[in-house]
This record gives sequence, C-alpha cells and structure tokens, in this order.
Amino acid sequence: MMVKMTLQGGLIYLTLVLFVATVAARRCGWRAVGRGFWGAGFAAAVASVVWRGLHTGHPPMQNLFEFFLCMAAALWPLSQWSRWKNGIDTDARDALLGALILFPAGFVFGEEVRRLPPALQSPLFVPHVASYVAGYVMLARAALMALPLMCAPGDAARVRQADVATRQTAAAGFVLLTLGLLLGSLWGKICWGHYWQWDPKEMWSLATWLMYGGYFHYRLKNGVRAPKTLAALLWLGLLFVVLTLTWINVSRLFAGMHNYA
Amino acid sequence: MNLFLNRVAGLGGAAWLCWLLALGAVALAFPGPERSGAFMACTLMQLLSAGLALLLLFNGLRAAGRRRFDSALLHLGCACVLAGWLAGQHAVRTATLDRPASGAMVMVDGDTSDKLWDGPYLTNFVGRVPFSVKLEKFFVERYERNALDRDAGRDAPVREYRSRVTIAEPGKPPYVANVRVNHPAYVRGFHIYQMSWGENADQFGRPVVYTVLQFIRDPGLPLVYAGFVVLFAGVLLFAARIFRAKTPHGEVPS
Repeated sequence: MMVKMTLQGGLIYLTLVLFVATVAARRCGWRAVGRGFWGAGFAAAVASVVWRGLHTGHPPMQNLFEFFLCMAAALWPLSQWSRWKNGIDTDARDALLGALILFPAGFVFGEEVRRLPPALQSPLFVPHVASYVAGYVMLARAALMALPLMCAPGDAARVRQADVATRQTAAAGFVLLTLGLLLGSLWGKICWGHYWQWDPKEMWSLATWLMYGGYFHYRLKNGVRAPKTLAALLWLGLLFVVLTLTWINVSRLFAGMHNYA
Repeated sequence: MNLFLNRVAGLGGAAWLCWLLALGAVALAFPGPERSGAFMACTLMQLLSAGLALLLLFNGLRAAGRRRFDSALLHLGCACVLAGWLAGQHAVRTATLDRPASGAMVMVDGDTSDKLWDGPYLTNFVGRVPFSVKLEKFFVERYERNALDRDAGRDAPVREYRSRVTIAEPGKPPYVANVRVNHPAYVRGFHIYQMSWGENADQFGRPVVYTVLQFIRDPGLPLVYAGFVVLFAGVLLFAARIFRAKTPHGEVPS
C-alpha cells in the first residue's frame, strides 16, 4: 500500500473519486448527476493515460500499472456501447468496476518509468495490448451484466434481456481476445522466432479463450434453460481473466517471457 | 449411432472438450515453457493433436454443410493452425545435417559461417544452412543516460541490438542485411533472429563482444498464418450473428 504524491497519482485518485461518486449518486437515485460524474471520471481517466504516455515517451501499455490505467479509460466508451446496443444502463456497475481496476493502479503498482526494450519496439505492441485491454474490460462487464441471470432466474423478461446483453458483450470480448491472441502470436514469431512458446501467460490466455469457447458452445446447445449456469460460466471466465492478469504476471511460479509486473 | 455422434462430436461434447482443453492448458502453464514444449512434442501428444485437428475439420465441414459459415470458418481455422503446427513439428523431427530446422550461430565481428549449433551452451552441431553468413559488425545502441541512471550508477538501458551481416547464397551476388530484434531476415526458408549477445575475453584477456543469431525453418508457417486469417474471419462472422439478436429494450435496475 503506497500513495503516489505525483501528478499521475493525483489524476488516478481524482478518477477514483469520480467513479465512486458515480456509484454513490446512482445509489441516491440522482441519475443525471451520476451520468455527469461518470463522464467526468472518463475524462480524468483519459487524462491519466495521456499524461502517462507523455511522461514516459511511449504508448502507456508496458506494464500492469499502465495496462490498468488503459482499462479504466476504456470502460466509459464500452459502457456507452451497451447503452446503445442493448438499451441497458450499466453506469453504476461499470463505475464500480472502474474503481476496482484503479485501486491497484493507485495504491499497489509502482509508477517507475522504464524505457522500451528492443522487444517491445514493434508496430504490433499497441494493437496486441489494446485488444486485451478492451477484451478484458468487455468480459468483466459481461460477468457483471449476468447478475440478473443469477439473482432473478424466474423473471423471463429480465433473463431474456440479460442473456442477449451478456452474450453480445461476451462476443465482443471474445473477438478482441482472439485478435489479441493472434496478434500476440504473430508478434511472437517476428520477435522471438516462435508463434507459440508454451509460455505460462500464453497458456492461461489460451485457457481463458477456451473457457469462453465452452460458454458459447454451452449457450448454443442449451439456450437459456439454465440461466444460473450461464452466469456461472461468465464468472468462471472472468476468474480466468483475473488470474491471467494478476497471479500469472506477479507469481514466480510462472516465470516466462511475459514477466514484467 | 446418430445419438452417439451428437454426444461426442456435437455441441454438448464440444463445450466439455473446450473446458477439458482449457484445463490442459492450465496444467501446461505450471512446468514452464521448456518442459511443456518438450511434452507437447512427444508422439502421443502429436497424435492427440492430429486427432483434435481432424475433429475440428469434421465439425467445420459439418457446419459448412448446414450453412453455418461462422462456425465452419472458426473450426477450419483452428484445424488449419493445428495442422501448420504439426507440419512444423514434423520438420523438426525429420531435420538432418543438410536440412536443420533450427539452430544458432555465435559470431564476433568478421566471422563467416554456415554452421548451426544447439543446446544450452550452443555446443551441439545440428547442421549447415544452404548459404553463408558473415558478421560485418554487431552494434549495441543504448538510450541516453539520464539522471535516474546516474543516481543508480548504471548504464542506460539498451535501445537496439543489430547485427549487420553479409549473406552469400550460391548463384547470387552477396548482399547486406541488418538483423534486429523484431526485424528478422529471411533467407532460403530460414528466418534469422537477433537472439542474444554477450561479452567474453579473448586469449589475451581483451573483451570481445559476440552476437547470437537464431535460425529457424518452419514449413508449417503459411498454414498457421492462413489458419489465423480464417479463424479471425470466423470469429467476426460469429460475433456479427450474435449482434443481430435484438434485446428487449427497457431499463434494468442496477
């Protein structure tokens, strides 16, 4: 636990406060106020990413700290997408997710600047990481949107809405996950000489991809007969995402080519 | 029989197979890249992978027969990637001294060689490449040393490793190529990578900088890349189909 007494830290804490304020405003039923806080939080999150990029002199996607900053900034546009696509208001849940994402960036990860090593100097660096940033955010949101499947399995209208919304969100996340995996594989071939290295991070990413593959197969076979199972599968997928992002990066147990935390 | 096929190759089995494979991937994350790679190169795992590729091919064709083209492309793409990987593994197994699949050269400025070496200390001779490589000069360029580097009493981090080589293929005039990280050279089926470097002392104790160039021949690569394209096209079609479903609009309390 450490507090960052820098401009970067200030921007992160400002975003964090605005995200929490969004949740609080929605709890009190102030919809417009919540929407204002949520938009302001997005602006602060973008400022945080932009400042990090200017400060380090490279796209801010090198380590977990920068990855988490990008995820927080990606939340708002993806949330708007759900509003437009599914007519679902996910502001409060997404702001809460944003606060959870930013907490480690604000208080756990260091903000030390490291210049890009030769391996990361590639045109594939940004698309590979950006796909995973947006993909992981989408999959986390899919799990949150699955709450009605779990809590109100008897309410047919809500189940149908939540099923379509989660499936579409998870599909968007799955496309991005696939793109990230394939771009990473291509980059691995160009940089390391092999498109697949049996690296622990690669294996966990593939496992995550297969978990969602299982979810889609299950949904195609069984429909919404068992909404609780669908929700459980999405949460299980999210568990894999969280493990891939945190444990695999940080743990010495999984030493590999992706260690940079 | 029909029920059996539906059970084994149909969707119910497919979800379980996905989860089983995910479990396998997780299990392979624990032993580390070298041991997992060696395990997957064993005959049994190659045969199982070939079986999986056939299953994917069968399901892809079946989906195409039912005009489910997203599913068809997804499964055929996966099968194609697996087939490409198996072809690459076959090249590794059937490598000879005349046709090695991979190996490395350790060179100092001015060295010429066509011999590849393998093993933890690059002491196993694995064969010759059908061209010769002369290291003109190896460059290590660093970032500018900043205040942080000075405080820590260290050199600035490396910005670029570059081996400038002259490549002589039989029947062709020699030409110069720059091998850098993320910029491999490609000569006669071999990708040439800037893999490593180091400092050693010569017989008089003077420091000598050497570079390690990695050579990899993978005839399965076009199949793998083709599989990537097909797989991604399939995923896009799949998502597009799911996006067509209409949500019953209305607010869900949060």
